[in-house]
Amino acid sequence: MSIKRRLSHLRQTPQCTPGAAAGLAARIGRLRAARRSDESHGSGDPSALRRALQGVEIADGVLLVEQRIASGTRHGREKLGQFARCAESFPEAAGLEPEDLLFLDTETTGLCGGSGTLAFMVGLARIEQGGLILRQYLLTRYAGEQALLNAVAAWVRAGDLLVTYNGKTFDLPLLAARSRIAGLADPLASLPHLDLLYPVRRAFAGKWQDCRLASVERQLLGFQRRDDLPGAAAPAAWFDWIRRGDGSCLTQVCRHNRWDLLSLAVLLPLLAEVYRNPCLHGADPLAVAKAHRSAGREDTALVLLLQQKPALDQAGLTALAGLLQRRGGRQAARSIWLALSARGDQTARERLAIHFEHDLQDYRSALSYAEAISDSDEKQRRCARLRRKLEKLNRQSDLDYR
Amino acid sequence: MSAPTQEMLPPPEHGDVNTLARQLRAQFAGRITGELHIPAQPGRYRALPAEIEPRLRQALARKGITRLYSHQAEAWSCARRGEHLVMVTPTASGKTLCYNLPVLDAVLQQRSKALYLFPTKALSQDQVAEISDLNRLGELGVRAYTFDGDTPGDARKAVRTRGDIVVSNPDMLHQGILPHHTKWAQLFENLRFIVIDELHSYRGVFGSHMANLLRRLRRICRFYGVAPQFILCSATIANPGELASQLIGDKVTTIAESGAPQGEKRLLLWNPPVVNADLGIRASARSQTLAVARQALRRGLKCIIFAHSRLMVEVLTKYLKDKFDREPGKPARVTAYRGGYLPTERRATEQRLRQGAIDCVISTSALELGVDIGALDLCLLNGYPGTIAGTWQRLGRAGRRSRPTLGVLVASSQPLDQYIVRNPDFFLGASPEQARIAPDQLLILLDHIRCAAFELPFRLGERFGGEPLEEFLAYLAEEGVVHREGESWHWMADSYPANAVSLRSVAEGNFVVIDTTAGGQKIIAEVDYTGAPMTLYQGAIYMIQSTPYQVERLDWEGRKAFVTRTRADYYTDAIDYTRLKILEEFETAGKHAAAAALGEVHLVRRVAGYKKIRYYTHENVGFGKINLPDQEMHTSAVWWRVDAGFLAQSFPGRQQALDGFLGAAYAMHHVAALQTMAEPGDLGRAVGDGGSGWFATVGVNGRGVMHNSAGEPLAPDAQQRFNPTLFLYDDYPGGVGLSQPLFDGRRRLLAAAAGLIAGCDCRHGCPACIGPILASEEQRGHSAKAAALKILEMLNVD
Repeated sequence: MSIKRRLSHLRQTPQCTPGAAAGLAARIGRLRAARRSDESHGSGDPSALRRALQGVEIADGVLLVEQRIASGTRHGREKLGQFARCAESFPEAAGLEPEDLLFLDTETTGLCGGSGTLAFMVGLARIEQGGLILRQYLLTRYAGEQALLNAVAAWVRAGDLLVTYNGKTFDLPLLAARSRIAGLADPLASLPHLDLLYPVRRAFAGKWQDCRLASVERQLLGFQRRDDLPGAAAPAAWFDWIRRGDGSCLTQVCRHNRWDLLSLAVLLPLLAEVYRNPCLHGADPLAVAKAHRSAGREDTALVLLLQQKPALDQAGLTALAGLLQRRGGRQAARSIWLALSARGDQTARERLAIHFEHDLQDYRSALSYAEAISDSDEKQRRCARLRRKLEKLNRQSDLDYR
Repeated sequence: MSAPTQEMLPPPEHGDVNTLARQLRAQFAGRITGELHIPAQPGRYRALPAEIEPRLRQALARKGITRLYSHQAEAWSCARRGEHLVMVTPTASGKTLCYNLPVLDAVLQQRSKALYLFPTKALSQDQVAEISDLNRLGELGVRAYTFDGDTPGDARKAVRTRGDIVVSNPDMLHQGILPHHTKWAQLFENLRFIVIDELHSYRGVFGSHMANLLRRLRRICRFYGVAPQFILCSATIANPGELASQLIGDKVTTIAESGAPQGEKRLLLWNPPVVNADLGIRASARSQTLAVARQALRRGLKCIIFAHSRLMVEVLTKYLKDKFDREPGKPARVTAYRGGYLPTERRATEQRLRQGAIDCVISTSALELGVDIGALDLCLLNGYPGTIAGTWQRLGRAGRRSRPTLGVLVASSQPLDQYIVRNPDFFLGASPEQARIAPDQLLILLDHIRCAAFELPFRLGERFGGEPLEEFLAYLAEEGVVHREGESWHWMADSYPANAVSLRSVAEGNFVVIDTTAGGQKIIAEVDYTGAPMTLYQGAIYMIQSTPYQVERLDWEGRKAFVTRTRADYYTDAIDYTRLKILEEFETAGKHAAAAALGEVHLVRRVAGYKKIRYYTHENVGFGKINLPDQEMHTSAVWWRVDAGFLAQSFPGRQQALDGFLGAAYAMHHVAALQTMAEPGDLGRAVGDGGSGWFATVGVNGRGVMHNSAGEPLAPDAQQRFNPTLFLYDDYPGGVGLSQPLFDGRRRLLAAAAGLIAGCDCRHGCPACIGPILASEEQRGHSAKAAALKILEMLNVD
């Protein structure tokens, strides 16, 4: 008996009671999700696909779709261009020319990762004369993968800065895995990388429901996709082509990928602007300042917080006062703490207690702030220490008096 | 790893196990059904091989190891020759050094890497501790890491890229490592050794999955251009070499002679006294275990008690603590150790055990393996652990340092226990336990081919398992998950197939138990698919930590059971029917009067209803109907049939013959499980006509009842045809290879079952031989025990 018959034999439900469906049939059902048995098999016509996508076959199994998008082209509320000022906001971009930026986004056969998932489309874009030159490499057969990866490698220049959205956990590890399986060196492994998801998340995590690229487009770019093929439908679009030669959805995949790349290219300068001027774009100024501070740009952080001072909440003011104190602005820091303390802020009172005790040796004031802090072991210790210091001082002054 | 030079410790000053054994023998002669004595054995030694890396040699010297046991030396030279090897050695024989030595040497000399696989996480931890110890002593700089579900995300990269020795488990290899093999490229490219411990635990369904997992592992290794060597370790079973070679798909050298010294060992087989001869009821194993433990503790002997369940561990601990840990402020002498305790708590207990600060530890199988717990005098087994291999492993926990030790196996009233205590010979000589796997079980093979296709495309001409791979790939292509292009098959689905395949059971999705008491929705337990129909039906009382919950609703499709807290004074017991229909006979033996056969059957299982049983009195206080879907499958089975005319000559009536069949099936099922080392769920039994016409169960009155396919009772004498058939079957779709050895070994099986029944002390049958008998002989009108024996005699067709 053939394997097929034996398997069907094991997996079928001989007397089809409804309940048995939960057993073996469920396992078959798991597989069936991907099955389209009523549809014809057969390979599609690559030249028809090439024409539909207006691409060129650069190797067996690889189509290249190339497009130029002129500087100033609208994308939502934004216009393509203004790449010059990105470097200030992102240390990764420091010292780079706009021409060194390489935007990357892939479409894959699955979203779960693992070595069985491959990138059937690699979209790359770089800047030329202020505009964008966009290259999409599309796999039309499994056998083309090696050629595709080689083509990507050929367009990458040493010194490029990769710019992606969530590429750090998704696109780049996937391409690394595929290169490994194809027996090639990973073409992107040596490049520096700026994943915009992280600065977006820092600036907007508290403000938006999520930080997916779709939210960025809606909230920041004012870009509304019309008739977009959702990313999750991309695998099926490619499988349709491979399985049945039906490439009708691949046009949409191309456009989807192009929009992703365009959004990336428009987002980068805009995000740089957000990091200079968070309030204009509804970003959290404190989070942005913290990002500057942790990137070693304390001045930028301080300037930003000072500019935004009227808009800062308690946490923002606390951070500002902390920065001021560190940079010698103790008086300015104290006035912020005093204002905060008057509003009942515990941290400010603690700061003031420390400030009066250590900076000014004013134990009486220090004690009054320390006593106003809500109860804790630390508070008790602090108060006790301050009382001892005061007592000692009193004894000394008594002695002096005698 | 025990140091050969340290084994001669002075004898303990306190009590001595031999005196205890003498006293027990004098006091309880009637309860001791057998005694085994293994005299002390001197160690056999070899010099440390000259070629060992100098730093490693120094580390060993600092640990006090200046020579090897003969089997360690043998393992070393075998590994040097590049052979795969399996070690079969008792507990505490320095097994870990057998693989750590070649592995560490290769790490140091060739910068090679190794992968260790242990069936459980706890063992992995111990391994890493062990290697760290040598590492520290010899400043070896070897990086050994565990990789399991507990490994934090930020540490995983270091494990993948920097680990010299990665210690993991099959489930992690299956779902975490192989599907992401490119991330592990550094490990695979340098992989020289794969160490698999506890080989004997890979049997049945789990073992068959393991064999396929290793096929995938070797495939990935080939991709990275390496052919690692396997070192396997097993407890004593009948076929370690065969199992190892089936698992890794290659020739394996077996090293079975241990050169480690052994202290004097004594094992007493203990059967609790009969308290009701009519019903065959014995005193509980618990009462006997406690009595022996108390005597030992009074004599100042250190002991370990093994119990089957966590609950029993707690009960025994409480009783012993009540007696020996009553003074507050004094450090506890008695302690429990089981899964579910915090790791830190367990580590602390292990340390106190090694220091000798604890006199008695009560444990589940959690302490059975690997974990070093120092020297103990007495090992008490509260119930037979289920396998002889497991029994020796537990007994090995006492006397790790060559002191005379005593083991006491206290039998419960389970048939296996009763069989074992009456057959002491079972423990001596060649092990009768055959570990069986079926690496080419179609569904398991299909699952792993699917996983393998995800990991790497298949190429034309490639092999995977013993069945034609291309046909499987064609099947998967038709299912739409792989795609053939030229000479390759590529994965083509947006899914991660390893997540849908569980190595430990039939992957149909677990059920969650949701507590809805007081309007809440809290998940309180998980029940695997096979257990759900018998425990989670609507109306069932489901117990967690002895707190009863009532199942209000079972969502079969959604795999959810909604329960509420209850104060019911009863528990529930499901009644299930299994009908079998013979589809095909592969092999037969016997004549017209009686025949045995091996073949394929179609099985339908229905959970029809349940009984409510009151606590303590065990009276039946009600019935309920269960409305659950039937479960069906094709599987392999072995069956025996007796001709109707022959039966009529031998029995006064059909009822008696039916009782005999049911009793014989009960005994054979238990003996068969023992001989095939089957997990309880892997093997099933049934009595019916073999054509789905009728099937039989034991009714509430203890007598056999015939049912038609709808479950309605039938009168045996009113049937036209009466041709009972006794089935033992693989309880897994497609079978897992248990039926064939049962068919081949049918004479041994029948003889052992007859031995179990004939040797039982009960009069008419009891749960220890032919199953629970509620009615007395007078009511039944005949002896079911005698009937079962007669049937067994008739079934002997050869």
